[in-house]
Amino acid sequence: MKSFILKDLYNISRNARSMLFILVVFAVFLVPASGVADYIFVCAILCSMMIVTTFSFDDSSKWTQYAMIMPVSRKDLVAGKFVVLAIFCTVGNVLGLALGTVSGLITNKITFAPAKVGELLVFTLTAGAVSLVFGGMSIPLVLRFGAEKGRVLMLVSFLIPSAICFGVYRLLVMAGVELTDRLISVLLCCSPVIALIWCYGMYRISCLIFSKQEL
Amino acid sequence: MDAVLQVENLTKQYSGFRLEQVSFSIPKGTIMGLIGENGAGKSTTIKAILGLIHKDGGKVRFWGGESGLSKHQKEKIGVVFDEMGFYETLTPAKVGSISKAAYRQWDGTLYLSYLNRFALPLEKEIKTFSRGMKRKLSIATALSHHPDLLILDEATSGLDPVMRDDMLDVFLEFVQDENHSVLMSSHITTDLEKIADYITLMHQGKVLFCKTKDELRYRYGIIRCGAAVFDRIEKEEILACRKDDYQWNVLVADKEKARRKYKTAVVDDATIDDILLLHVKGEKTK
Repeated sequence: MKSFILKDLYNISRNARSMLFILVVFAVFLVPASGVADYIFVCAILCSMMIVTTFSFDDSSKWTQYAMIMPVSRKDLVAGKFVVLAIFCTVGNVLGLALGTVSGLITNKITFAPAKVGELLVFTLTAGAVSLVFGGMSIPLVLRFGAEKGRVLMLVSFLIPSAICFGVYRLLVMAGVELTDRLISVLLCCSPVIALIWCYGMYRISCLIFSKQEL
Repeated sequence: MDAVLQVENLTKQYSGFRLEQVSFSIPKGTIMGLIGENGAGKSTTIKAILGLIHKDGGKVRFWGGESGLSKHQKEKIGVVFDEMGFYETLTPAKVGSISKAAYRQWDGTLYLSYLNRFALPLEKEIKTFSRGMKRKLSIATALSHHPDLLILDEATSGLDPVMRDDMLDVFLEFVQDENHSVLMSSHITTDLEKIADYITLMHQGKVLFCKTKDELRYRYGIIRCGAAVFDRIEKEEILACRKDDYQWNVLVADKEKARRKYKTAVVDDATIDDILLLHVKGEKTK
């Protein structure tokens, strides 16, 4: 699995430079307009979507076929993709927090008040969870439908989890559960755990899809 | 016979193509050539052997083990496909790092020595490489984890004769170790004529024969004759035949016998190319 992670990181290193440039540009324009929290979300989601790009590289070089002659299993390959996704999400979060903080300080959008810092960290945690959910959704979709449909699949990766969240929200409303600030805070703090459970489910689905594939 | 690879009744069904009861085995220390026209089923067979596609039936045993390919067995196999498998912005150095992380037996020194031997720059991106250089990099990668079995799928296709000859030398060197074996699919039969010990001919998803190269070279022959002689040839002797403008070309399994029996006919030695052509394009096969 280590070789798969290494391969994806090498492959994406060129795109990483352009991605860094995009994030800097966004920091200049987005933070003054929408605030640091939104910027962190954008960074995390943009970085998580690079996982679809790694599949495009694999497709164009016929990597998957080659990978399966290495002493690894199909599950290892899928697990490798989820580890790479986690790396992308973490990098997106850290960059979002760092660049956002710098840009926020310059434009007076944030202060170092303890409550504000705590709020920002909760947002960062939630952004990481959301990006993991979206990225985790894209992996089984790309495995099933191919990387050439990447752009459409990215949209679907956003729509499915969003639709599920909306459905859960409607159910809670129908059940008479009121979404108080306290409940929302608890949900936000629990979001990384929810994201990990979601990713595990997506991993199992991905393994099932990939085990049936002919290379 | 100590077989490195045994393929028994391998079957795979696609719409419009069927791999049918493919069987052959590769003895230790030998090179097996898998020949056939494009679409004969060579690559499908190799993919099924390597577990890249799901077979519908049959068994594939490596080193006499259970059917299937374990991680431990994969450590002992080097594979070269037509395509490299690595993205074009990678360098041989990065390919080495990736492979090192995959194979426990990876030998970095051996890899570097192959890169030197093939004159491959360590830090240059693959996209700047010629087709031959890419193929050499694939071979260096396949050999640098000390495999016992090398599987080559059209590894020499698209290369110039000099480059092909270099590759063949490497494969011959590899089988100097009696524990090493090679399965090499190719439609360039002259390459296999140079290095193979056994030839398996595939046509339309079936194995037509699996014989030693020497038997094909020294026993098989082609009777070139007119219609009168052709009518006299016993049908059981004809493996395959084809009518040209002015003569019949008849493939037989015993050219010396044919020379004695049909004195008025010309009986030529058969090259593997001739055998392949007559089997594939011939009017009758035994």
